[in-house]
Amino acid sequence: MTEPDPVGSIGNEAAGRRGDELSGHDETQRAFLTTAREPILIAIFLLAGIFDLLSGDPIVHGAALFAIAGALAFDATIGRREEPTARPAVVRPALSPTLVVLAVAYAVFIGSFARYSWPSSLAVVAVGAAGVAIAWRRPIGPDPDPTLLDPAGTMAWVGVFVVLALWELSALLLQPSLTTASQAHPTISTLMDPVLATHLGRSITLVLWLAFGWFLVDP
Amino acid sequence: MNSHDVTVAGYAMIASAGMGLEVLAHRAGSRIPSLRRVFRHLMQSRSGRVGVVAAWAWLGMHYFVR
Repeated sequence: MTEPDPVGSIGNEAAGRRGDELSGHDETQRAFLTTAREPILIAIFLLAGIFDLLSGDPIVHGAALFAIAGALAFDATIGRREEPTARPAVVRPALSPTLVVLAVAYAVFIGSFARYSWPSSLAVVAVGAAGVAIAWRRPIGPDPDPTLLDPAGTMAWVGVFVVLALWELSALLLQPSLTTASQAHPTISTLMDPVLATHLGRSITLVLWLAFGWFLVDP
Repeated sequence: MNSHDVTVAGYAMIASAGMGLEVLAHRAGSRIPSLRRVFRHLMQSRSGRVGVVAAWAWLGMHYFVR
């Protein structure tokens, strides 16, 4: 005669099976997201490059977006995959008063130059290229929080960014032409024009840009 | 309210939605991940990390580079 199961071991086994199933489901979901991430990123950069060229921006801006898409495609297909421990991890140094002063000095000095001038172009390209180089060479460390993101919660963020992209696109398409800015249907770039026309506005924008880059070193 | 105001209001609403999500994400037991966690998750592969950082670099380029 079988003894009753006061501690619910059968239930525990069932829970364990459910856990295994969930774990398997998580792994499947994780594998799908890992596989889909690169094509989605490449498609985003290609689309951004196409619309950037159509909007009349300098060719080099669109070319940069296409170059990023190409580099990501290369890395995803025939690029060399590095072992996570191949290089020491890039550790973001602590935010010290010296770094803050340097960043503000950079922003104030570079902001003193007109937009699209050679000094501002070189200074921003140098910092941006350094950021991309660090991102490219940095080893992939262990995820500090390996649990999957909640799909519904993640979709809320995806929704915000997709709506923003569509709103920006609609403003662009409602301009008199793709290359003519409109105050009636301003894009974010058009709204930023008066801000970036002043030294103070350029400096504040540069500080925010540097701060966001700093955040991205180790989010 | 003209079309300029409507367009700007649209941007403001989207920004407010983002800020609202971030506030909700920090409530205990929230299923919404914080923006930091979304970025961290996205940047767990080299392609994701390079993509995000390149987008940041391009933003600076768009506003300042000839």
